[in-house]
Amino acid sequence: MGIKLYQEPQLENPILVAGWPGIGNIGIIAVDTLRRILEAEEFGEIEPWDFFYPRRVVIKKGVLEYLEFPNSKFYFKRTEGKDIIFFIGEEQPTEGGRMYAEGRKAYHMANLVLDVAEEFKCRRVYTSGAAVALTHHTIKPRVWAVPNSESLIPEIRGYGNTVLMSDIEGRGGHGNITGLNGLLLGVAKKRGFEAICLMGEIPVYLQGLPLSYPKASKSVLEVLNYSLKIEVNLGKLDELDQKVEQRIEEFYQQIPPEMRGQLDRLKQVADAQPTEPGPITEDEEKRIMEDVEKFFKKRGGGG
Amino acid sequence: MSQEYPIKIYKKPDLLCSSLVLGWSEDMSNLGRKVTGYLNRKLKGQKFAEIETEDFFSLGGVAIEDNLAQFPESKFYICQEHEVVVFQSGSPGAEWYKFLNSVLDVAEHHCKVKEVYTIGAMVSFSAHTTPRELLAVVNSAETKEVLSQYDLTRDLDYQTPPGERPTLNAFLLWIAKERNILGVSLWVPIPFYLAAMEDAQAQKKVLSFLNERLDLKIDFSDLDQEIREQNEQLARVRSRFPQIDDYINRLESNLMLSEEENGELIKKIEDFLMEGD
Repeated sequence: MGIKLYQEPQLENPILVAGWPGIGNIGIIAVDTLRRILEAEEFGEIEPWDFFYPRRVVIKKGVLEYLEFPNSKFYFKRTEGKDIIFFIGEEQPTEGGRMYAEGRKAYHMANLVLDVAEEFKCRRVYTSGAAVALTHHTIKPRVWAVPNSESLIPEIRGYGNTVLMSDIEGRGGHGNITGLNGLLLGVAKKRGFEAICLMGEIPVYLQGLPLSYPKASKSVLEVLNYSLKIEVNLGKLDELDQKVEQRIEEFYQQIPPEMRGQLDRLKQVADAQPTEPGPITEDEEKRIMEDVEKFFKKRGGGG
Repeated sequence: MSQEYPIKIYKKPDLLCSSLVLGWSEDMSNLGRKVTGYLNRKLKGQKFAEIETEDFFSLGGVAIEDNLAQFPESKFYICQEHEVVVFQSGSPGAEWYKFLNSVLDVAEHHCKVKEVYTIGAMVSFSAHTTPRELLAVVNSAETKEVLSQYDLTRDLDYQTPPGERPTLNAFLLWIAKERNILGVSLWVPIPFYLAAMEDAQAQKKVLSFLNERLDLKIDFSDLDQEIREQNEQLARVRSRFPQIDDYINRLESNLMLSEEENGELIKKIEDFLMEGD
């Protein structure tokens, strides 16, 4: 079990950008979009068998042709700003039927990813995920940034459309990031890497839907591009966003009018400054969360 | 007792070139467990090894079956005279690759296994009066050639549908291929209304193939008796409930039933066979 590198590219102090699927697939869409735009080249993978159950079998004329596993691949791109290593995991290694990675396997995978980063003398890691927030889908999502070192905070303060956990009302600077997008940050800290997780906001009422949320991926990419000093055209994400937006609107119209009225008030949150009290009180926030939960239960899950 | 974690070997087998037959406990119609149990009984299988379950099964409680608390087991039996190794196990819930490799470690290194046969059942929408078919999926063209002389359906085309995952048998076949072990996954389509019951005809279909292939010389008179009894019971349901007879007639004419009719047929047959007449 381990890492398989097909080539050893010459990279100068590369940055690692890693992504796995999660809520709204915000992180992985951001990372994968950037990889595609930059036409990064595949150079290695983490062998899947010890981490994953196969996802597809192909049998032709009675003979098992192949068994397909989720990919966990490394790509590289030399840019004028910074050399970049991308890591994209198609699934999170889960144990015991949990949705997101945790435990021994997740820790092992995080370490393997960082082993490759270390081999190429990378000292900075970015991960990306979703921040479930009391926001509305018509509002441009903000990016919640969580660094693994205090020295990174001034840099993050310079990013646009970005907040730290201490800027989020009621959070007091605390929270947690589930799955590997979060765990990698912690393992990176333990191993002495600088790391930042960029989480795009997704409205609380969309977190259970089997839909991607490219609008938030775009926000993440804007921050990432600024940080990496690269300029790329994100028009493709706008196209994807338009398609998803239509489905979100259809879903939104199915929400009972009274609850929809409550959710409409979230549009006003955009007008509030991050550190000011929001236009929604704590009781109202609680009520919205309860209503959303009830609605999904009644609907029979997230779909 | 020697122990190679997570394998416990109680007795060193003395085999030269054996075949492994593998059945999972949670199989539809209990097919895997029934077939491997039958082989053990007829061939006087002796337990000689097991895989420790703690790494592979959820041990958050116990399942209850037929009033009894169960505990996951993964045991190897040896049928020395016939060079057959039988493996009976629950389906692991984690560390599948390690588990399946452990199975093949015992098979290859301790039993000199050259061929692996897995047993599985799938749902069929045909009537119980339709003769059972035996499908074989193999892990190499060479294996397919070896099986050409047997009464098997060997030309299946299949891809895992979206949202589903491959079976454990497919996973095992793939690992066997990596180790250059011939692998055959045997599948019997079982009438949907017998899926929760035992299907002696399906068991006989698999066992007859293994009997011929592995030259076991098994006398199936007891299983034939079970088949007769089950057929008689099903004939009684048909004569007692005209509606059920009509449904089965339609299945015999290759007509589909509605979802509601399927449900009614399943319930009536299960109630009747479980409670007896």
